[in-house]
Amino acid sequence: MNGPLRRLGYVVVASFAVLVLAVSYVQVLAADRFRDDPRNERVAIARTGKERGVIVAADGVVLAESVAAAEERQVFDRLYPGGPPFAHLVGYTSRLFGDTGLESSYADLLRSRRDLTISDLLTALTGGDLRPHRLELTLSSDLQQVVYQALGGQQGAVVALEPRTGAVLALVSSPSFDPAALTGANAAASWEALLADPAAPLSNRATNELYAPASTFKLVVAAAGLDGSIASPDTEYPDEAELDLPGSSVVIRNFSGEPCEDGQTVSLQVAMVQSCNTVFAALAMQLGADVLGTAAEAAGFNRQYELGVPVATSVFPLDELRNDQAALGQSGIGERSVRATTIQMALVAAAIANQGVAMAPFVVRSVVDADGVVVESTEARPLDRAMSPATALLIGQMMERVVTEGTGRRGAIPGVRVAGKTGTTESESRAPDVWFVAFAPVEDPVIALAVFVEEGGEAGESATGGTVAAPIAAEIIAHYLDN
Amino acid sequence: MTRTGELVMSAAAAGLAAFGVTLVNLAGGGTIDAQVGITFLVVLLALGSVHVAVRQWCPGASPHLLPLVGLLAAIGFIEIYRLDRYRAGLQRWWLLIAAATAVGFLFWVRRRGLATLRRYRYIFLLASSVLLMLPLLPSTGPLPLHGLEMNGSRLWVTLDVGFTVLHFQPGELAKLVFIAFLASYLAERQTGLAAKKLSGLVEPRLLLPLVLVWLGSVIVLVVQRDLGASLLLFAAFVAVLYAATGRAAYLGVGGLLFGGGAVMSWVMFDHVQRRVEAWLRPFQVYDDAGFQISQGLFALGTGSLSGSGPGLGRPYLIPNATTDFMFAAVGEEFGLAGSVAVLAAFALLAAVGFGIALRARERYRKLLAGGLAFVIGLQAMLIIGGVLRVLPLTGITLPFMSYGGSSLLGNMLGVAVLLRISHEERT
Repeated sequence: MNGPLRRLGYVVVASFAVLVLAVSYVQVLAADRFRDDPRNERVAIARTGKERGVIVAADGVVLAESVAAAEERQVFDRLYPGGPPFAHLVGYTSRLFGDTGLESSYADLLRSRRDLTISDLLTALTGGDLRPHRLELTLSSDLQQVVYQALGGQQGAVVALEPRTGAVLALVSSPSFDPAALTGANAAASWEALLADPAAPLSNRATNELYAPASTFKLVVAAAGLDGSIASPDTEYPDEAELDLPGSSVVIRNFSGEPCEDGQTVSLQVAMVQSCNTVFAALAMQLGADVLGTAAEAAGFNRQYELGVPVATSVFPLDELRNDQAALGQSGIGERSVRATTIQMALVAAAIANQGVAMAPFVVRSVVDADGVVVESTEARPLDRAMSPATALLIGQMMERVVTEGTGRRGAIPGVRVAGKTGTTESESRAPDVWFVAFAPVEDPVIALAVFVEEGGEAGESATGGTVAAPIAAEIIAHYLDN
Repeated sequence: MTRTGELVMSAAAAGLAAFGVTLVNLAGGGTIDAQVGITFLVVLLALGSVHVAVRQWCPGASPHLLPLVGLLAAIGFIEIYRLDRYRAGLQRWWLLIAAATAVGFLFWVRRRGLATLRRYRYIFLLASSVLLMLPLLPSTGPLPLHGLEMNGSRLWVTLDVGFTVLHFQPGELAKLVFIAFLASYLAERQTGLAAKKLSGLVEPRLLLPLVLVWLGSVIVLVVQRDLGASLLLFAAFVAVLYAATGRAAYLGVGGLLFGGGAVMSWVMFDHVQRRVEAWLRPFQVYDDAGFQISQGLFALGTGSLSGSGPGLGRPYLIPNATTDFMFAAVGEEFGLAGSVAVLAAFALLAAVGFGIALRARERYRKLLAGGLAFVIGLQAMLIIGGVLRVLPLTGITLPFMSYGGSSLLGNMLGVAVLLRISHEERT
């Protein structure tokens, strides 16, 4: 009887050998196919279903949090109670479309350290804490809401900074979207709709898109002139309605098509107040590409700086401008190939407000562990000295006159000394992009900002920085100073 | 391995279960809590009590069985704990009850040995038939004992004991009792069954039991719609018959009967067709019958070589992960390393069982040991083969690993019998 028993035993053991081959096939050879099958939720859940840290505004309002969807299964839903106003900065973490914003750049600190890597395990076994960290932002959630309302769905952006520190007080890109739509059940359909939307709600107009800064760039030109003692506020320039640029057919015209003052001469100060194109084009050519470029770079152009989220590098194209006087003249009024992000122009205003020092902008004040112990905190640090304190003071005075008697009168706030500068691009094919950069109060600036509205917003063809962007800035500043 | 080695390895299995619970706790955001200690003590108590009983009443028994059972039970418990805390709590009780039953059995046969069992063989036959038919009891009525249909199969009985309702799968015990009957029956009727007529075939009269058992398993299949139990019973019967007679013809005839039954049930039953469809094309019928198999394969593929780690995978996405699809849950969280370890443990367990059968000096014990080793190995093979899509899926539990008291108790009792048989050959 041992023969049959032995044979049965062999068959059973051999069958297990076959199963070893089968399981090796399933878990090794075919593993990728099974893992990546679109119907397999595991990889997606592993990425987005885990608990992540809370993101809170400076006033304690929660902007992102993980809520247990199924306690026992350790699956979490990521909620964004702040909604659209915060969508670009906070970002989202989506199963289908990846991570953006702070959710992406702080992924490592926000993650729950329960992946049980060796180091996580050691932390746990030595009594350490595996709960995720929390991000505390510099953002005022209240101001952010006000800014979003003020833009009213127009295509544009606003960045407001604290001049002394570089802390971001508000950062809004408009129109926006609800990040919840990209994590919910109809994520794919929402995504398609957002991509198809001609207003491009997904693009981040505050930090990632580059625009011609138009006349707001005159602040940089003036700073270069004053710093190099090539000009003073009282230096007189020919007051011309038009300026033929050398070596080209390009003609620079004042916005009104007329001289700024009496048609004889005009001071730099008045030229700033009235935003005279001919004067600043001439000054830019007088300064030369290198002097102007140095000033632009000191203010943040051509430099990469981090905000906590990536920022596109603003461009002052030195190489091109060294050999092209006409282009340099156009650049002097923020046209041709000078390009800036909205936050870059806010940084210029902040530097002027902060006695010439541009503080590196930041949005994450601190990273705090579950017990409230600060793991990482951001110290205010200067990015560079953009101009001398004296120059900053003089330009600030000019900017104040822009608001009291110049192109930016609609940026005025009763009882507050506001300094500002308008900008309006010129194009024959599309409505103008309009700007207003400002800071207040002049005697002790606590907020500096840039307002950008694409293609004139609701005003369309007739828009100027003074009529469309300045009132928005005034509303924001007034609200901030009231609180 | 020595007796002391058996204890050390059993303690190691308890440690493994406790360590797994620790990892699951940490992965779930918890800490090292009382569950860790309770798990360690319960597994140690269960295995330790069987160990002490063996020392006491059958010291010659093979020391290899208990550590293997401990390993499988520990890995299974970690997954149950990870998937369902409530069931894990119950499973710990079942582990203790199963161990107590094994101890009780070893105590019962301590003097006269397994010869005791032979006396009851017709009672066993009757008992296995009754056990198999128990689930057919009406689902309602004045009796505290009711049949219950779950997931399309009528495998369960419920016993209302006043404060709670116990669920039990009598089929898990029936297979054990049936093998006990078969071994003693065939041990005495070997000559007739093995005799050849001139034509080279056995007498038709002697084929009768074969046909009867086949009919019995067909009834189980038809009435209870339970592919697994039906196949298991019939295969165990054919294997023991073959072992008893050495006649390969029984394997052939058994195979034909099985094939006929399989084709017939495929033609007749919708649920069998759905099973076959899910086996051949799980991804095409993903939204229907293929869902469970697909999820099992996703789990195994995602687990890949090293697995996600206990508590970090998503085995809860697989339907019935704590029972039928336990192997997929283990594969996902422990990786290929874990699934091969489980396969190796089952292969070793079966090999040790067959070794005991080969060394047994008496026909009855040989057949009993061989039958038990075969049925435990076959059950593991059928369900794992089903999960891996090597075989059509049959809804049966993975011995020692799946959640469920009946399965654990039945298999534990089987191991106790093997322990006793191995002891009797040493004395």
